[in-house]
Amino acid sequence: MSKNGFLTSLTIGAAAIGALMAAASPAAAAYPDRPITLIIPWGAGGGTDATGRAIAAVLQDDLKQPVNVVNRTGGQGVVGHAAIAQAKPDGYTIGVITVEINQLHWMGLTDLTGADSYAPLALYNIDPAGVQVRADAQYKTVADLLGQIKANPGKLKGSGTGQGGIWHLALAGMLNAAGLSTSAVPWVPTDGAATSLKELVAGGVDVVTCSRVEAESMISAGKVKALALMAPERSKLYPDLPTLKEQGLDWSIETWRGVAAPKGTPKEVLDVLVPALKRVTENKAFTDVLDKRGFGRVYKGPEDFTKFLRANDASLGATMKAAGLVK
Amino acid sequence: MRFNDAVFGVIIVVFATAMMIFAETTFPGLPGQDYGPAFFPVGIGGGLFLCGVALIFQGIAKRKEAPLAQLGDWVVSPRHLINFVLVLGSLVFYVLASDFLGFIPTSLLILTVLMYRFGCRPLVAVGMAVAVTFVIHSAFYFALRVPLPWGLLQPVAW
Amino acid sequence: MEHWLQAYELVVNPYVLLVMVCSAAFGLFVGAVPGLTATMATALLVPVTFFMDPIPAIAAIATCTAMAIFAGDIPGALLRIPGTPASAAYVDEAYTLTRKGQAERALGTGLICSMLGGLFGSIVLATSAPALAEFALNFSTFEFFWLACLGLTCAVIISSESRVKGLVSLFLGLFISTIGMGVVTGFPRFTFGITDLMGGVSFIPAMIGMFAISEVLRFAVRTKPMPKVEQKPFGSLFAGIKGTLGRYKFNLLRGSIIGTVIGILPGAGGDIAAWVSYATSKRFSKEPEKFGTGHVEGLVDCSSANNAALGGTWIPAMVFGIPGDSITAIVIGVLYMKDMNPGPTVFIERPHMVNAVFLAFFLANLMMLPLGFLAIRLSRQILRIAHAALMPTILMFCIVGSFAINNTTFDVIIMLVLGVFAYIMEENGFPIAPVILGIVLGVMVEDNFITSMIKSEGSFLAFFERPIAGVLGVATFLVWTVPLATTLRRRMKASRSTT
Repeated sequence: MSKNGFLTSLTIGAAAIGALMAAASPAAAAYPDRPITLIIPWGAGGGTDATGRAIAAVLQDDLKQPVNVVNRTGGQGVVGHAAIAQAKPDGYTIGVITVEINQLHWMGLTDLTGADSYAPLALYNIDPAGVQVRADAQYKTVADLLGQIKANPGKLKGSGTGQGGIWHLALAGMLNAAGLSTSAVPWVPTDGAATSLKELVAGGVDVVTCSRVEAESMISAGKVKALALMAPERSKLYPDLPTLKEQGLDWSIETWRGVAAPKGTPKEVLDVLVPALKRVTENKAFTDVLDKRGFGRVYKGPEDFTKFLRANDASLGATMKAAGLVK
Repeated sequence: MRFNDAVFGVIIVVFATAMMIFAETTFPGLPGQDYGPAFFPVGIGGGLFLCGVALIFQGIAKRKEAPLAQLGDWVVSPRHLINFVLVLGSLVFYVLASDFLGFIPTSLLILTVLMYRFGCRPLVAVGMAVAVTFVIHSAFYFALRVPLPWGLLQPVAW
Repeated sequence: MEHWLQAYELVVNPYVLLVMVCSAAFGLFVGAVPGLTATMATALLVPVTFFMDPIPAIAAIATCTAMAIFAGDIPGALLRIPGTPASAAYVDEAYTLTRKGQAERALGTGLICSMLGGLFGSIVLATSAPALAEFALNFSTFEFFWLACLGLTCAVIISSESRVKGLVSLFLGLFISTIGMGVVTGFPRFTFGITDLMGGVSFIPAMIGMFAISEVLRFAVRTKPMPKVEQKPFGSLFAGIKGTLGRYKFNLLRGSIIGTVIGILPGAGGDIAAWVSYATSKRFSKEPEKFGTGHVEGLVDCSSANNAALGGTWIPAMVFGIPGDSITAIVIGVLYMKDMNPGPTVFIERPHMVNAVFLAFFLANLMMLPLGFLAIRLSRQILRIAHAALMPTILMFCIVGSFAINNTTFDVIIMLVLGVFAYIMEENGFPIAPVILGIVLGVMVEDNFITSMIKSEGSFLAFFERPIAGVLGVATFLVWTVPLATTLRRRMKASRSTT
């Protein structure tokens, strides 16, 4: 066959596509009429992944459309958070945002902030940081621990997450509140709380300031003990665990997780998504996942969530400045 | 396309130098630590630099048997040169056009053109392109739920 | 025992078995088509397995690679083109047998020996990996630092003809591993403000680029036509196989052992195992003069060696997260994505999952007999496949596969850039395997080094204080210095004799 024959077939193909498109009706169906993508900025196996997947599963039944989970990991959350913010604001891409979004911009790693770069939809989880040490450690209270640090600055090592991550900030803030230099406890960066706790048990580090719930399995195995919770008041989940405030330190910090859409998502879409997500947070299938793993449950709708984000951003910024982590 | 080792040596030396300078001058240290973000890249740059120098010497030693650049026989054959450019071009085309055109039209176009170029008969090329596009789209979009873009076909999306 | 029962349930169910049969068919096809490698099969399969549970995903990869490595023998014997690099060592031998009209003998022997070698490798994997993991449980960042260094060293020494070029490849891989913002350094490096690069160079798209796109490019500029197969029906595949195996049972065992051991060494897989065992076979044969004239003895050694290597490569991959070859480098990436982070703890925390992987390995090798038999029967059809239609199809699979991992076209760009990069490198004799090892091990070397330094408060001595770390450290130094010293001595001798 000749080159002409080839061109003819190409033309026919193009014409067919054109005809198909012309035949299509311009009226858009009601949202959502195709699968939704839920971006999770952290990897498989973590708390954000587990809770995010639980949301996707329930939301899928609620909206009668598949909700596909995509883990966009890396860059301490920057990559995934940016992917959510930069997605087409049509409601077909939403995502889970986490506390890091209010931290990263202070370090000059992104321009995004929680309140201004997204359309916040629902806050569903808050977990305060804890102070964890080896089960056989000599200290019984945070005061003992701080005394040890004061006596030998630079000797004890801390860990919990990567360099400049939320738990690094938790430790820095605690030292700050106690009037100690942040270099009194050098930070051993790891890829997450699980690795840090392993290092703690192995004796590589001495204190891990991840959330209390992340340390749960090691604590119930009797290898790690919790000294305090970095929260304004005692948690219902751990009524026996004192807060830092009770031990004389005015310092609290928490991690949180919420669902957000890209900024500029139309109102019709939000009117579907916001009530749907509220129903999700009340659904037993979802609450069971959080309760089983010990994640603190909350619900804040778009307005409250936005207010929360602004307050959280300001307080994180202040402590990061005090800790010398701001660029 | 083969080049004399010395050509690569020079490229590597330049690259390694640039990389070391960039890392050393722009990467901050870790607070209170001697080994920060710049330590490893500078080490790698140093290693590359030495390898580059070694390649330059090897290349000069072998300059008789290995000319500076030896073009593969395909570079002088326009047919193969076009093939090479077309493969790269279709990848670039996909990156630039898939969001706007959508996966199906982009894939049809790329497959038809490449299959035809590589020697399929025109009708076979079109037929295969349609079949392959359909299979890939169904497998990834529906079975694996990868959100391949619909692009222009959005109004008729199935 | 209980873990094995759980593992049995995980593997022996209709879904996983179906996945295994499909990936076996895929592996056999890719292996049998010249120009498509086992690594490429894995890289193309990963985007699909990405959406499966861990066990079917890993079973799919194990099955696919085992089949591809065997199937590489088919075009080797029929066309004198190795289907995968793992068959390269003995294509001439197999092809000569075909010329003598004994194609069925070459392929039948290859099939049986591949299966037996593969089973041997699986058994070694299943028995030694848990023991090694038990031992490695006390490893801290110091030991892992040295292990990663040893891995990098092996990669350079084994995998290339020119050591300088191997080193260049390794350093480039290490450089790629530094791109993005790591957890330990907490600073975005070489990202130039591109957010997509903050998470580093996406591994799977990089693999697809280096192993599949480069192959499509090579095809696009291929000036020689693909060779044609002669039409001639096969006789019985397994006639006289008993005699062959009986006569060469020692070769079978030797090939399997050499293969497994070479597999364990980082950076060396089936291809090098086949070369080494062919050389060993010839060296110790009673009739070395028959080698190269269509002698089946070398085939027994090599076919068992390259399949045994497969099990071997998984040992360091699962126990330490150090890839035994390029395929297991991809496997490690998959394990991380599936939250089955390789390392000694996975053996303790989820022994049933690990056992399920072993079981899948075993099953895959058993499946090789019937499916491989079918593939040989269908080989004429497979080999007649039109590359003109196949290669663009592969290209499209590459694009969609790269896109599917993160749903971003940026990954297609990464695939494109690294594909061209790999093509140019290979054309000029720079090996690709060290690049992959550099990418995988770079993070491990750096993170473990810096954390160790923080823990030891900047003291280098700490790297030698723990007994195992000390031994590993000294071993690494020896591996680096001994070859260097011998080359220097040889050089000096040479220069003295010339003057």
